[in-house]
Amino acid sequence: MVGAIDVVKVGKVFSAVEALREVNLSIRPGEFVSFVGPSGCGKSTLLKLIGGLIEPSTGSIAVDGKAITRPRRDIGIMFQTPVLFPWRTVLENVLLPIEVFGLDPRAAADKARGILKLVGLEGRESAYPRELSGGMQQRTALSRVLLTDPPIILMDEPFGALDEFTRERMNLELLRIWQERRQTIVFVTHSIAEAVFLSDRIVVMGTAPGRVLSVIDVKLPRPRTIEVLKTPQFGSTAFEVRELLGVAHY
Amino acid sequence: MCRAGWVSALVLPAPSRIWDGLVILFTADWFPQHLWYTTAETLIGFFIGGIVAIALGIVMVNARVFKEIAYPYVVAFQVMPKVVLAPIFITWFGFGMESKVVMAIAISFFPVVINTVVGLESVEENATLLMRSLVATPSQHFWKLAWPSALPSIFAGLKTSLTLALIGALVAEFVTAKEGLGTLITTFSFELKVYLVFACVLVVSALGLALYGLMALLERKIVFWRRSRFTG
Repeated sequence: MVGAIDVVKVGKVFSAVEALREVNLSIRPGEFVSFVGPSGCGKSTLLKLIGGLIEPSTGSIAVDGKAITRPRRDIGIMFQTPVLFPWRTVLENVLLPIEVFGLDPRAAADKARGILKLVGLEGRESAYPRELSGGMQQRTALSRVLLTDPPIILMDEPFGALDEFTRERMNLELLRIWQERRQTIVFVTHSIAEAVFLSDRIVVMGTAPGRVLSVIDVKLPRPRTIEVLKTPQFGSTAFEVRELLGVAHY
Repeated sequence: MCRAGWVSALVLPAPSRIWDGLVILFTADWFPQHLWYTTAETLIGFFIGGIVAIALGIVMVNARVFKEIAYPYVVAFQVMPKVVLAPIFITWFGFGMESKVVMAIAISFFPVVINTVVGLESVEENATLLMRSLVATPSQHFWKLAWPSALPSIFAGLKTSLTLALIGALVAEFVTAKEGLGTLITTFSFELKVYLVFACVLVVSALGLALYGLMALLERKIVFWRRSRFTG
């Protein structure tokens, strides 16, 4: 199986600011892992390091044994903002990676439409981003990532700008898609609840300097429905994260 | 007011007189040539200047070193009142259309350069990260992202520069020219035919408006994703 990520003794310094200190982490193929922590804990930095968008100051990262020094086409990334090109329609936006890879967009168009249908955007292929709501735009961005079927998907607070209900729907949709394809997903969030709901494991991070405090297992059964929020196990896991983050007592 | 004799006809002719002037202009067989002359100077200057300016902007964004060197000169050139260059251009390029085109280029050049640079540099950072994550080539990054991103800014610059090109052409014509609306204005001024001067001014204004409107239309077609109040 592909999609194993190994982070070995990785540190990152930005102009004398230690953004990340000695991270050691192994992510198994097909695992859903979240990075949770307050602002400045380096979670986005760690994500970008895994994605090859920045280079570590110390240590190394390997995907399936191969060192990551620059971005790879088999690692998909989703950002906090949809990053859709306003001059392209929904379909054209989704097909962007195919064009960049030098493949024939016409051949991929049917697959693109299928994915858009999967995320609930059927009929919106010819719409322009400005005509869509925030949730629809992020679903378009999600479709774009899914089109090339990468074994690893990195997501940097992709639903952070959405309202709670849309976010929940997107979480459920993401899990549904992930259940079928089982990519390795690394999900950055500052919502403890979201992390517990989605993940197999949670990497809890602290700040000053940015570092990993602990990695905890989420033992909730799958598939996860919204009912899971009622379970005592959900609450206790969430509180475990809380305590690690130091926000369990006010 | 004029008729009542409050204002001398030399200062402000009566509207009816200006209307007579317009009629004279548009029925005269010598007029279309002048109108065409100025329009051609403006458009040729605008096109050449625009293309060179955009090209320069692109080079400046892609070659840091070149930008560091060239930028001070571009700014210095901009803050200089180009009108003082008109006599020099006439000396260099002669009394014909060439000097007017050069003047049009000189005066309309900078807004397009700066807007091209600003437009290309203000690409959304996450969009650049996205293209990097897809391992896009620099050429792909330019054509698929940077260039379309910069178009709204470039068009804003082009709209300004078109207006300025017209001014440049006219100013050069004022200095010395055999043909063109600017020539007509100076000639009629010397002849104290003030009503004809005003008529010409109206024609110039209408020309400016028409050209601007054309640009706005073009902008709406090409930069279709941006609805700004200034898109006309």
